[in-house]
Amino acid sequence: MTRRLSTLFHTCWLLLLCVAPTLHAETEDKLQLSGFARVILGYLDDENAEYVGYDNSISANQQSLLGLQAEYLFNDELSVTGQVVGFTDDQRNSGLEWLYISYSPSNALQIKLGRQRIPFFNYSDSLDVGFAYPWLTLPQQFYDTAFFSTFDGVLANYQFALNDWQINYEGYWGRFDDKIYLASEEINTQVIGLFGFNTSFAYKNLSLRASYNQGDVNIEQEEARLFSQQLRQFGFANNAEWLDANGLIQFYQLSANYENLDYFLRSEVSKMVSDGGLVADIESFYISAGYNFYPYTFYISYSQKDLHFDHRPSEIPLGVTPELDFLAATYADVIGRFADDKATGIKIGSRWDWQPNIAFKAEMTFVEAQDEISNDYAVKDLGGFDGHAMLYQLGVEWVF
Amino acid sequence: MKVYSTLLLLFAFCCPHHMAAAETIIVVANTSDKSIKLNRQQVRNLYMGGIMPYDLKAIALPPENHTRVIFNTKVVGLTESRIQSYWAQMRFTGRKKAPKEIKNEMSVLEYLQNHEGAVGYLLAGTPIPDGLSVIYTVR
Repeated sequence: MTRRLSTLFHTCWLLLLCVAPTLHAETEDKLQLSGFARVILGYLDDENAEYVGYDNSISANQQSLLGLQAEYLFNDELSVTGQVVGFTDDQRNSGLEWLYISYSPSNALQIKLGRQRIPFFNYSDSLDVGFAYPWLTLPQQFYDTAFFSTFDGVLANYQFALNDWQINYEGYWGRFDDKIYLASEEINTQVIGLFGFNTSFAYKNLSLRASYNQGDVNIEQEEARLFSQQLRQFGFANNAEWLDANGLIQFYQLSANYENLDYFLRSEVSKMVSDGGLVADIESFYISAGYNFYPYTFYISYSQKDLHFDHRPSEIPLGVTPELDFLAATYADVIGRFADDKATGIKIGSRWDWQPNIAFKAEMTFVEAQDEISNDYAVKDLGGFDGHAMLYQLGVEWVF
Repeated sequence: MKVYSTLLLLFAFCCPHHMAAAETIIVVANTSDKSIKLNRQQVRNLYMGGIMPYDLKAIALPPENHTRVIFNTKVVGLTESRIQSYWAQMRFTGRKKAPKEIKNEMSVLEYLQNHEGAVGYLLAGTPIPDGLSVIYTVR
């Protein structure tokens, strides 16, 4: 763990040092270099489970990371931005997260072309910038549900004012072609025709946001595909159809936030609907309230996820032939592997803004998994897990 | 009595934004149209990277500056830490950039005089040179 952290930080510092002379060579305004880092320690009080990668030992290699961003301004309207992030978590791909050309003909309009983060939810495009949000870990029952985070394509943003309301429209279109991780397994995934739009309204201390996103997903599930073919050959088309991992996925999101000098209230609710049988439908939300006692913030949050599959009952008759019995048993086993997943998380934590760019955080999360645990998401049953665990975390967030 | 004074002091120490009650903030601009006046919401939007009916560019004082603390309290209505986290999110998602920071009030006046469309905040009572105008005042 320590070695991996050390290698990551050395690599990133080396990169920083290499770029630094270039920085001095340019005028200050042309090239802008910035970055963010977080070092997070976590410990789960249950030896039979894992949560967000943490187990029953103190670990710093789940969420600790370093990100570097370089922006080059060609002129007032045109710029190019790149962001690389090195993760200590081996289930995240370190490397280029953003690389885009931005064109802003006015303050109101911005068009970006290239690799970007998908703005599904409020913090989807700033997941790794822990400094940007009060919690130490984002409400996992909500943020664990967006499986792919970047896309290659175009995004346009238009904002305007109407009677002191700030209104923002954003739309994007592109594709995703990379690996996703489920149950520590790498799965090649393609999403084409990925697009979405969102609108946000801000007035005084209140802000509201709504978004819609959709994509045609193609998940490489070779075993499922072959088994589906086999079922089709036997004439069980309904069951064969359910084994399809491909199809349209739609995300809906709504959020309402209120904040003033003393308090904040943040909430988001989302729904994901999918065509493919092997891709779940998900309903999730969180609500969080905080008290500012500058430079300290104290908060509580509650989040919930209900992930469920539309499991189709087996249409394979039993006791006819050994082959059919085997087929039925295999079908039951496959269904079992795509288990529903319901979980709640309750957080209590604090943030101390020590410097304008450095914050310390401490957080306790009580996680409760209901029914079966699929082991595909934040909560993993290592055997004999009773469904309750407490995660203790300490962290430092830095932006520069 | 002593207990109350101690508590009051403790309260004032813990909540610096509540200490700002007595001072008046003026928002000063270098604009050719001297009739421009903004309301609090417009000034807040300007400083949070929002859209304005006029072509104005905000400049700010550094985080530890006393005038900035009062401005955050009376106009933006957010703590310094929240403002910093907001700009971190905007910067690393490539959306907006925080107002340029100028080291002190004297330099703000100098910057405003040299840049048309620039807007800065100062304490009331600061002598305003010719060519600059007050577009918003908050007590």
